Amino acid sequence: MSKRDDELIAVVLGDARPSAELARWLATDEGRGELGAYRQALGVLDRVYRDVRVPEPRRTVYYCALRTPIGRVLVAATEAGLVRVSFRRTEAWFAKELRRRLGAEVVRSPARTADIVHQLRAYFAGERRTFDVRVDLSRLTPFHQRVLLAAASVPAGQVVSYGEIARRIGQPRGSRAVGQALGRNPIPIVIPCHRVVASGGKLGGYTGGLAIKKKLLRIEGAVAAAG
Amino acid sequence: MPSPPASSAELAERYRAEILAYLVRLLGDAHEAEDACQEALLRAHRAFDRLGADANCRAWLYRIATNTAVDAARRRARRAARTVDADVDGIPAAAAVSPEDREHLRAVARAVEALPPRQRGALMLRQFQGLGYAEIAASLGGNEAAARANVYQAIRKLRTALGDR
Repeated sequence: MSKRDDELIAVVLGDARPSAELARWLATDEGRGELGAYRQALGVLDRVYRDVRVPEPRRTVYYCALRTPIGRVLVAATEAGLVRVSFRRTEAWFAKELRRRLGAEVVRSPARTADIVHQLRAYFAGERRTFDVRVDLSRLTPFHQRVLLAAASVPAGQVVSYGEIARRIGQPRGSRAVGQALGRNPIPIVIPCHRVVASGGKLGGYTGGLAIKKKLLRIEGAVAAAG
Repeated sequence: MPSPPASSAELAERYRAEILAYLVRLLGDAHEAEDACQEALLRAHRAFDRLGADANCRAWLYRIATNTAVDAARRRARRAARTVDADVDGIPAAAAVSPEDREHLRAVARAVEALPPRQRGALMLRQFQGLGYAEIAASLGGNEAAARANVYQAIRKLRTALGDR
């Protein structure tokens, strides 16, 4: 590597000022040409590499587990709100499922889930009957969202039938589809699909198991339906 | 000088964006860079406890990122025969204005791809990541003079790639 090249690069980069000798050479055609070539090389480098396309960051899902009267409950939230509540599952299964379904970075974080965990504890202690959290339903179909929001409007202590939810969303003949949509409720308990029951006093189904549905209704004081 | 991060999570949050951009510049591929970034932050998380209180954590993170990129490039080289013809369309945002201009972009991109990892890293750190020679030395090992020599050699090769004028 020649000394003159080093000196020239230092000047082009702004690392040093040209010596008197280099300045004289830079006044010649050869010197001007070389200076131009280095400037061009850096200019092209700049065009190719300055504005790199950086991929959008993968979104992050924070999760945590808590103990409750119905066993271990797992909760997961993004910046947009609560995305999952699960029970009868291990933490490892839950984290893997989140990664697979949401394509997200999954981070265990009691701090980021503290609010919902606190509210759930109060709910199971019988000290709270409504939840005040943002939910993130953005990945669900519009129909699925309508069904869940209709179920969310049923207050604690009451139950309604699948047919009633179907009527409320303007699809009176859709009670079977409503039942299926509720069965795929990603945020059970907080969106109280357990308050939707079959007509004629039967409990209907529950993805988490009928025993849990009964227990939740009993905690809320909807004893008649809980049988 | 910002206060040192209290946790590896804070470190990751603070520097993730620039480390990711650096890895795109080193690897020339956004998805590969993203995987390498995740890997680098994981390595940083595992080693965080061994980071001295007065260490330059930014340079430390660049060192981990560079090593991760070198490993990723090695794996890629093993996976597939190396692409000889640098694809300017495939890497960063370069819009050529003329055939001659396009040839220049291609020549420089090819020269960058042919640089040894240390020179490529030093060049990107100096030109786009805002690191001085002392920080580059801390990131890539060696002393300040070696860091400067790596940058200068890389630039000489780019100039040579453009040919006679």
